[in-house]
Amino acid sequence: MREELLAALSQYGSPALFVIVSAASAGLPLPVALMLIVTGSLIAQGVMDAWWAIGLGCAGSVVGDMIGYGIGRFGGARLVRRFSKAMGGTKRVDQAKKHVRNWGWAGVFFTRWLITPLGPWVNLASGITRYPWERFLLWDVLGECLSVALYVGLGWAFSDRVMSLEPIMGELTWAAVALVAVVLLGWRAISLWRPKRPAE
Amino acid sequence: MPRTWQQSLGLGLALAAALALLFVFSYRAAHHLRLLHGDDEPIHGWMSVPFVAHTHHVPKEVLFDALGVDPRQRDHRPLRVIAREQKRPVETVIHDLQNAITKARGKAP
Repeated sequence: MREELLAALSQYGSPALFVIVSAASAGLPLPVALMLIVTGSLIAQGVMDAWWAIGLGCAGSVVGDMIGYGIGRFGGARLVRRFSKAMGGTKRVDQAKKHVRNWGWAGVFFTRWLITPLGPWVNLASGITRYPWERFLLWDVLGECLSVALYVGLGWAFSDRVMSLEPIMGELTWAAVALVAVVLLGWRAISLWRPKRPAE
Repeated sequence: MPRTWQQSLGLGLALAAALALLFVFSYRAAHHLRLLHGDDEPIHGWMSVPFVAHTHHVPKEVLFDALGVDPRQRDHRPLRVIAREQKRPVETVIHDLQNAITKARGKAP
């Protein structure tokens, strides 16, 4: 599959990139980071036009994300209603929605370029919790443009080393996921283990 | 929220696991980073002749010549497509390219 996608990218350029990143952002497990890194190399070689590649890469990512959001919003809401009891009742679901409304921008923005494996899940969750779509779109466009520029830029800078670059980016992405987990769990541990001050 | 020993144990274990994963992935990234300046990249069937020429720092005409293909301005066919058209396995195409790269580097001043 990977070989076929890379061959299509190498042969058909930006339109192939658009299709691949759309599908990946919508939730299909495709090696989108590698595609963007190879795109950077193809730009450095003069095979692909930088503006078309970056523009269609961003557009494809946003289209895929909106598909995921739409599935969550129009398909997931029914599931949430049906299983709200199992999820702790409607009060708990409303609390989750409020939390997403306050902190959803960070979830959307950082899962576009830093903790990318969580991206499709955040799209679904944002739709299910009815995070305002115009705010989702804003942070999605900003995050995806940063992501495309970052990966394409790396591929451009290391254009003769793209296949060696991919595992590094993969490991760093998972390291970022682990780092976020450490920070969140550490925060929770501090608040749980901190000795309570006696009431005055 | 009540503080129970099960809660503390679960949180402690989760934190330890997250720290271990952070260490493992960081170590592996550093290991791959060391290999970044190592040998040439392997040649794959999805790569085009100009792509291989770029990653191996040799003129693309040399590689087109090694495959018996007329060097065109925008020939970005993957090697496996060339192999299919020449009715031979992609491995032999890659082998021919590797030989041509070695020869071209030997001639380089």
